[in-house]
Amino acid sequence: MPLITRLFLKTGLVYFLGALLVGILLQVDALGIPNLVPMFWHMLMVGWITQIIMGVSLWMFPGRIKEESFQNQKWAWLAYGFLNLGLILRFASEPMIVLSEGYHWKILLVISAILQFVAVLCYVIEIWPRVLSKAQRRKKNKSSR
Amino acid sequence: MTLPSRLLIKSSLICLLVGVLLGALILINKALNIDPEIWGLLPVHIELMIFGWIIQFTLGVAYWILPRYLKGEARGNRLPAYLMVLLFNLGIWLMVFAELTEAGDYIHLVARGLEFSAVVLFISLHWKRIVSFNKNRH
Repeated sequence: MPLITRLFLKTGLVYFLGALLVGILLQVDALGIPNLVPMFWHMLMVGWITQIIMGVSLWMFPGRIKEESFQNQKWAWLAYGFLNLGLILRFASEPMIVLSEGYHWKILLVISAILQFVAVLCYVIEIWPRVLSKAQRRKKNKSSR
Repeated sequence: MTLPSRLLIKSSLICLLVGVLLGALILINKALNIDPEIWGLLPVHIELMIFGWIIQFTLGVAYWILPRYLKGEARGNRLPAYLMVLLFNLGIWLMVFAELTEAGDYIHLVARGLEFSAVVLFISLHWKRIVSFNKNRH
């Protein structure tokens, strides 16, 4: 299993745990943190499920270059970096736009939105050409030799 | 990877891109209060991310990777598989249309009905493929 897949999967597992922790906080409602509901759903659906799908597909889909390097896997690495930076910024700034008057929290939330979109774009750029039939794969392998 | 799988997976990637773009717009609007109308995109964002991306991608990979038949066509009749792809995507995009245009409840009903029909086809195509070829296992 390539390093990038292991990172996606392990980060996904951390978000899974985090989502359930936020779920418990939601039930207790003791800390009074605002915007916990969207945080819970996005930790679960983006942090956990989407990252697991991305990690496994990068590993399983045809056309993977076995030799691991940033050059060979640049779109996958960029997707991982932008997605997780975007998510961290989101989870830090989303409650703060309610709790604090500071405009910088709003700017951070905007940056997090852009980073998440760019991450998905990078993932699609990597995976789209790898959605291949056997015949297309053979043809691609021949032409790359 | 077979054509029905490729169609489902590529459609799911398009839904992911559009769904995340809408999500980013909603989040930016949450920060900057550009236009309250943007909140109306939330049901479309949810439809595209849950049905369009996560579920559709899973269906595509399952069709590709579940055990194949030993006799006849490896994944069964292809026609219902293409019909499944068509109905599922029609359902998703009809639901998106219904949310954007505030169409009547019956459009939502038809959209969910199309998705339901696709899932019935999916189950009928895969039920017998969920097997073990190891005779020692029950």
